[in-house]
Amino acid sequence: MGPYIVKRLLAMIPTLLGVAILIFVLLRIVPGDVVEARFLAQGSQFVSQDLMNEERAKLGLDKPLWQQFTTWFAGLARFDFGVSMWTGGPISEEIKLRFALSLQLAIMASTIATLLAIPLGILAAVKQDTWIDYAVRIFSIAGLATPSFWLGILMILVMLTVFKWIPPMVFTPFWVDPWQNLAQLIWPALAVGYRYSAVGTRMMRSAMLEVLREDYIRTARAKGLWLKLILARHALKNAILPVLTIISLEFAFLLGGLVVTEQVFNLNGLGMLFVEAIARRDYTLTQALVMLVATTFLLVNFFVDIAYAWLDPRIRYR
Amino acid sequence: MAVTPQTVDELTRIEEPQTGWRGAIVEFIRQRPLGAIGAAIVIVMAVLAATAGFIAPYDPLETDYAAMLAAPDAKHWLGTDAFGRDVLSRVIYGSRTALMVGLGASLLGASIGSLIGVASAYFGGRTDLIIQRIMDVFFAFPVIILALAVVAVLGTGAGNVILAIAAPMIPRCARVVRSSALAVREMPYVDAARAAGFSHERIILRHKLPNVMAPILIMTTAFLGEAILLEASLSFLGLGVQEPTAAWGLMLRGAAVQFAESAPWMAIFPGLAITLAVFGFNLFGDSLRDALDPRLRTQ
Repeated sequence: MGPYIVKRLLAMIPTLLGVAILIFVLLRIVPGDVVEARFLAQGSQFVSQDLMNEERAKLGLDKPLWQQFTTWFAGLARFDFGVSMWTGGPISEEIKLRFALSLQLAIMASTIATLLAIPLGILAAVKQDTWIDYAVRIFSIAGLATPSFWLGILMILVMLTVFKWIPPMVFTPFWVDPWQNLAQLIWPALAVGYRYSAVGTRMMRSAMLEVLREDYIRTARAKGLWLKLILARHALKNAILPVLTIISLEFAFLLGGLVVTEQVFNLNGLGMLFVEAIARRDYTLTQALVMLVATTFLLVNFFVDIAYAWLDPRIRYR
Repeated sequence: MAVTPQTVDELTRIEEPQTGWRGAIVEFIRQRPLGAIGAAIVIVMAVLAATAGFIAPYDPLETDYAAMLAAPDAKHWLGTDAFGRDVLSRVIYGSRTALMVGLGASLLGASIGSLIGVASAYFGGRTDLIIQRIMDVFFAFPVIILALAVVAVLGTGAGNVILAIAAPMIPRCARVVRSSALAVREMPYVDAARAAGFSHERIILRHKLPNVMAPILIMTTAFLGEAILLEASLSFLGLGVQEPTAAWGLMLRGAAVQFAESAPWMAIFPGLAITLAVFGFNLFGDSLRDALDPRLRTQ
């Protein structure tokens, strides 16, 4: 197992390097740069080229591209994201609170997705081809089809018209006021969790159907075990792995990919920060965000694989 | 397992097959009611998009400042928006945008993706390895982030949105098609064809391609729903299709949220249209997968 872990960790490096190159190049192709964007934002459209170049030199944008890249990547290797080109503040500070928000939202949404997916999937599989199965499938396909930002708008609308109440619009960290914090985040978590539960429910259903056809389940039934016990002891254990995999892989994407939902609920998460950073051509901040999300994705992938090997003796890696 | 009434039913059904395309349709509805619902939604949407000019009661761009934010009534069935534009007409015309972007992006993504996938599997070895590592890089991006990055490079507008949505779909399609192509390469019938002395072209075209067509088709339909959702998300952010074009995501933006309490129809109907469309495509795609993929047929 040890060498396998090391091998997998090392294999992440070329992928991360690829991600770094890709986002670095993409950003340089985007028309305009941070200096232009900043002058535009200040309302001064006609700025002399010299002044612009001077500003660019301050940010190191006058150096050759390969040099900019190596400086940045060397910083990354030391976990130093550098400073934001727009605000000049250290990026780790800019990201900190937003990361806390996005991480909490991702955890809550994944929890909701898991809690919905597992029982619903089992129910649909056990009651295959009955109206219950159809209802669960329609519920989950509808979840996949409903844009979570629209679901969010509807939620706010209902709360506004029925309860005359809207969730708090300012983020309060959980450790400051848990109640206030949950009152804000539970709604986006529900909207997103419902959508992501759909994938899990479908996976749970098909995995369960497959397992229920296995010989050992038939044996268990033949010796007269309760269906509930069979499901809990024999079937669930074997069917749950792919479900947990898919939910954990989605988790990494929830961290940075909730751009639209964040917009609806007025959350200052990583997704909104990304849109802002791109609009401002804040190279360093955008790059840091992309690397953060990509690293999370690769790490989750890695842990899922390790967990697989650990949980399932059939696929133990040497 | 015991013989249930259902399996008896299936047996008798096989014994008396209905003939002709009408029979096939009846059969499809009976065996896959969910797929039939999906197909019906897709057909209605396609008809709406094709005949929008005749069906829509108003010009989707026509503003009527006398009837701003009007509630649904006999004149405007789904009400009007902040510019007095008819919501129903805009929803109908919006199906055009959704279909165009959805079809364009999924066809583009699927064809480039399958090309890369088949090539990767065919050449194998080092080429395969390099292509797969490059795909890994794209996989590490959330879909919307990749689409946003492409929009940032290319700019907004329907054409660029198609490219932006196709981009994240390419690696996913490539991976699926590659694995199917690899599986096909190892199949005994390919060995048999090779032993019979058939040329590479014949083996690829007559034996391999038909066997990877199913996953390609499945991926394309699966993408369609997702592409429509992604287009709506991008337009909602103001980074997709631009005003005054009728697009569902765009209709949910700005005033729809601002006036959600006083004019909820603006926020409800375009979202409903997105949900129904994606729902239809997903249902249809699912049954298509079941019908095309013999390995899944038993489930």
